[in-house]
Amino acid sequence: MIRTIKPKNNRAKRALDKKESKLVENVKQALFIPGKTSNKLLHDAMVDLSALKKPDIKRFTKKNGILPFEDASQLEFFSEKNDCSLMVLATSSKKRKNNLTFVRTFGYKVYDMIELQIAENYKLLSDFRKQTFTLGAKPLFSFQGSAFDSHPVYQQIKSLFLDFFRGDVTDLQDVAGLQHVISLTIQGDFQDGDPLPNVLFRVYRLKTYRSEQGGKKLPRVELEESGPRFDFKIGRIHMPSPEMAKEAHKRAKQLEVKTVKNIERDSLGDKIGTIHVGKQDLGKLQTRKLKGLKSKFDQNGADSETENYINEDESYGEDFVTATDIEVAPPAKRSKKA
Amino acid sequence: MSSAAEKAKYLPVVVEKPIPVTFDLGNLAVFDSNTLDANELDSSNAQREQNIQSIVRDNVQLMINQILSLPLRTTTDSNGSSGQGSSMTLVQLPEPTSELPREKPLPKPKPPTKWELFAAKKGIKSKEKSGKMVFDEATGKWVPKWGFKGANKKLDDQWLVEVDESKNKKEGDELIDPRTLSRTERKMLIKKNELQHKRNLKENK
Repeated sequence: MIRTIKPKNNRAKRALDKKESKLVENVKQALFIPGKTSNKLLHDAMVDLSALKKPDIKRFTKKNGILPFEDASQLEFFSEKNDCSLMVLATSSKKRKNNLTFVRTFGYKVYDMIELQIAENYKLLSDFRKQTFTLGAKPLFSFQGSAFDSHPVYQQIKSLFLDFFRGDVTDLQDVAGLQHVISLTIQGDFQDGDPLPNVLFRVYRLKTYRSEQGGKKLPRVELEESGPRFDFKIGRIHMPSPEMAKEAHKRAKQLEVKTVKNIERDSLGDKIGTIHVGKQDLGKLQTRKLKGLKSKFDQNGADSETENYINEDESYGEDFVTATDIEVAPPAKRSKKA
Repeated sequence: MSSAAEKAKYLPVVVEKPIPVTFDLGNLAVFDSNTLDANELDSSNAQREQNIQSIVRDNVQLMINQILSLPLRTTTDSNGSSGQGSSMTLVQLPEPTSELPREKPLPKPKPPTKWELFAAKKGIKSKEKSGKMVFDEATGKWVPKWGFKGANKKLDDQWLVEVDESKNKKEGDELIDPRTLSRTERKMLIKKNELQHKRNLKENK
């Protein structure tokens, strides 16, 4: 835990407020930490990964003796101190060569960890034709392999890489900003009991050409590998505890979209409201009152005619309708343009 | 025109897959669960990179087709300093469907103050806000209820003020200027409110 002091000035207060949990969260920041046994390759790999994640990164230069699967308290400290919830730790040993540990934290506590070891045939960004990524451009993702949907380890990898590189969550995306694809492929299908196949990490640059087949709208897409290229071998895994996963996937009630009833918009953008009014009973509709239409003159009740005729004087001139005469009828639907 | 563009002109833009791919367009992601041949993707295979690239290309083509069928919006930015109107084509993306963990727990709701608890117990509803300005009958002008030239400072600059006996008695026999008395009253109210605010913060820690 970091000692928290009451902020003495406004700037410090703003900085503290920025760290506080928010309803709509900011982009997760990534922290790259070289371990005690880090080497040149791992350093270069981290530089390349951070180039993809820029500008939401922090990179440490000094080496840190952290063993994440033995004691993660140091990582949790770094997470809180730097306000980073994604961390990549580089270590290399005889048993686990060229190892990158991807750590996610939730509320400054370790959420999950996964070790991915860079296998032999890697290619760094500098080995390709020199290209840089547009800062903050949202990448496309492509996941190949059914295990990304079914196998818990690969599900975790999918979730991790989506979380790591997706950047801003926006509802409007510039078409010109669709520039690179991050692709993860499982090296072949496998049965239960087989060793877990590698995950192939590739990054391609998108190229679109006008096509005659697609008409004006759809282009022909071609890819050009821009690197980095890594084959990740899966090492140790730390799964999130069910309670923590539940807590982390909670969604704010305030953000849930309420269904708006009775208000629609048509294709022209006009607002259309539906008003529910009672259904009119036309049988009881009061038309103009005429003396000849009175019920006492009905043909079927001929016997009482004379008696009624005596009473006639009192009700004479009853030509109007009062509000109480009209009964409230059951509901009906009626559309009205507003 | 380059040869690549020339060639691409006649290539198809539709892709058929045995198992249809799924999308998460909010995250610009495509998930392909078709079978992958381990031999084709083995590191000993010379054609390996081409194989991967062709699979990915097909998926990306499918995704681009999906993205471009979403509602498009074109903006015209006419207030650019260069005077040139630049337009951008934006795609309206749906909400992301992949569930990803949050970074931090949901923010806790603000704890109720002592007054709010009391009001809830007694069923007192907060007054409807009527705004800061109030009409001054004497001058025929709208003045703020408090603050600079506020209506609550009316007494301060009167040349003649009625002495309220009941208030003056508490202070002792000596006659105190009622103007300063009204000012101290106001200051006391502010202090009281600050004290309550501090107490609420302390209790809700």
